[in-house]
Amino acid sequence: MSIVRDAEIAATPTRGGFATLFSNVNRWRVPLSVLALCILPWILPSQALAVNVLIYGLVAVGYNLLFGYTGLLSFGHAAFFGAGAYATGIAIGAFGVNWFAAMLIGLAVAAVLSVIMGVLAIRTRGIYFSMVTLALSQLVYYSALQASSWTGGENGLRGFTVSVLNFPGFSLNFLDPMIKYYAIMVIVALALWFVSRVLNSPFGAVIEAIRENETRARACGYDVERTKLLSFVLSGILCGLAGTLSAMHLSIVPLDSLHYHTSGLIVMMTLLGGAGSFFGPFVGALAFLSMEDVFSLWTSNWQLIVGVIFILFVLYLPKGIWGTLISWWKSR
Amino acid sequence: MTKGIEKLALRQISRRAAILGLAGTAGVLSMPWIARAQAETIRIGFPTPLTGPFAAEANDQVRSAQLAVKLANDKGGIAGRKVELLVRDDKLNAGEAATRTLELIEKDKVHAVVGALSSAVQLAVNEVTRARNMLYISISQSDTINEIKDFSPYTFHEALNPTMTTAVVAKHTFKKGSKVVYLVADYAYGHEMLRGFKRAAKEIGAETVGEILHPFGAADYSTFIPTILSLKPDILCICNFGRDQANSIKQAVDFGVKDMMKIVVPVLLHNQRLAVDPEVFEGVVGGANYYWGLEATVPFAKAFNDAFRAMYKGAIPTDYGAYGYTGVASLLMAIEKVGGTEPQKVIAALETLKYDVAKGEQSYRKCDHQSVQSVLVLESKAKSAMKSDADLFKIIANEPASEGVLRSCSELGFKS
Repeated sequence: MSIVRDAEIAATPTRGGFATLFSNVNRWRVPLSVLALCILPWILPSQALAVNVLIYGLVAVGYNLLFGYTGLLSFGHAAFFGAGAYATGIAIGAFGVNWFAAMLIGLAVAAVLSVIMGVLAIRTRGIYFSMVTLALSQLVYYSALQASSWTGGENGLRGFTVSVLNFPGFSLNFLDPMIKYYAIMVIVALALWFVSRVLNSPFGAVIEAIRENETRARACGYDVERTKLLSFVLSGILCGLAGTLSAMHLSIVPLDSLHYHTSGLIVMMTLLGGAGSFFGPFVGALAFLSMEDVFSLWTSNWQLIVGVIFILFVLYLPKGIWGTLISWWKSR
Repeated sequence: MTKGIEKLALRQISRRAAILGLAGTAGVLSMPWIARAQAETIRIGFPTPLTGPFAAEANDQVRSAQLAVKLANDKGGIAGRKVELLVRDDKLNAGEAATRTLELIEKDKVHAVVGALSSAVQLAVNEVTRARNMLYISISQSDTINEIKDFSPYTFHEALNPTMTTAVVAKHTFKKGSKVVYLVADYAYGHEMLRGFKRAAKEIGAETVGEILHPFGAADYSTFIPTILSLKPDILCICNFGRDQANSIKQAVDFGVKDMMKIVVPVLLHNQRLAVDPEVFEGVVGGANYYWGLEATVPFAKAFNDAFRAMYKGAIPTDYGAYGYTGVASLLMAIEKVGGTEPQKVIAALETLKYDVAKGEQSYRKCDHQSVQSVLVLESKAKSAMKSDADLFKIIANEPASEGVLRSCSELGFKS
């Protein structure tokens, strides 16, 4: 799928009302995204689904940093998602660490893992990069399957339910779906702000330069390998953060969270929403999860419907939902 | 003056708006009342893998559960309240099941959850329900859910567990000195069954001569069979589930395994037997929680089968399907007994309940909430012995309900 270029969009000379509006929207993208997230639990069928949209939206945004902006197609991001989730779960369940420290541990583990995988995978490019990331993530999957005394193996990790979020001075009932949603939303909003900040920084411009023309970026004097690695690690950490949130949300870590199906799901959501746009992956996660939720209530053949819709998007709207919307908006 | 009129007009509009707003608010406020009047309905959440490799078994579970609900509603409801079953597809994925269960509890405000068809999925549902003090009746085989680490006072396990299934199957198939080779699906189900069989074999005095693991969902078993043949066992014990069962038995039979040894499986699956020719399964022995042929001896089985046939145009209930019926029926009996859905009272009622709805008397053991129930041992019939298309198995034994085949409470980690 082709990629919507934010930098270009931002640089588009103002042509009409819509374009001005668009550049304003782009400038205020983080507050507007957060506003959209605020109303999400009120319009979706359930809060549990809304929390999943937050989590998978964050995964897709993190993934998009690598895929949409740096141009590296990884098939192994489930490893970071799962590693963050398992590390958080084990920290709480086995070591009795409090939820905040457990989240930091989850992030640290995802970061270390993404450095290791990144160093090994960055040397390759194209399809080989995808295959190396896939192979490494399967390695993580089978390690988790074998280390069943730590991870619960096939049965998944259990026994670390977070029912109260303790802060100095007050606490929140994490079992209440609305409180849970908004607590997780705050963390996701911070992550979105962070991503926006990264994209607006010189680093953001460099990764896009690498995506557009690696040789030229190298000729300009940028250290391509290091930049790629940094982008890989940032992306891994964001997925790890989503993993820790998922562990706290579901109070279990299924082994499936490390499976390559999850990696595929992340790619699919990103493409559906629009790779290379800031909010696109979020829209993709929202669209995919809502379709799954609604259609599976009607029919057990829901996968057929979702599959057909996905194919239609690939064929006719290759920029994804958000990407198409943005380019339509821009052309007005 | 005109300004005053304008102001008045404005005020009138705003008053109208206020009235409208008030009416709206009143409407919204009255909604929960309407909802509460309907809340008389007892809602039961039912997550099950309608898509995926166990879809056939899952659909049978749903049909049986719907039958239990229909029978309750036909006789005027439970404690004067209608019963509703909310079926959700958990896609055989623990994360999905946890989300669906959260939805059922938070949005649909169910009073209890029944369902799941895999060890990992039921443990995920269990984790969600136990944190929210929600009644859960699990209807899939698992040993882990009995252990104290995963115990929830709100959870009851209606299905057989691997320990009791294998203990009974081994009792009727293994002999002192028998040489046994195990072909095991490499995941929780296979491993739990293997552990159960080996435990039983040790007591009986049977000898394990080989353990071979195969990957979950394997299509090709031909590489394992020469090894099995070279070990020369008396019994080949195949511990896998779903389509794997039919595939592995079919290929073993093609290699002539059945001429040299007996094939034993922990659970002989109705739907898998139907998936292949009778010759393939002929003589294979395995356990079951339910078989429709029980109707010849058990009156409640006859009633259950007849009701099922009436509702589904002559179809018969299957093994895993029956769990849906017995699970929902036992829950409804307990709710009826206490006249409400207050969890603590229902738990107390379930703990003392003796229920016979399909297969003979059952009861939930107090310490781990495992359903103590009869276990059937079935043998697959030859084609010539089948009286009808549904006449698949011969009941070799109907082992009566007994705590003796379960792990003891202290072994599971419970006090006393």
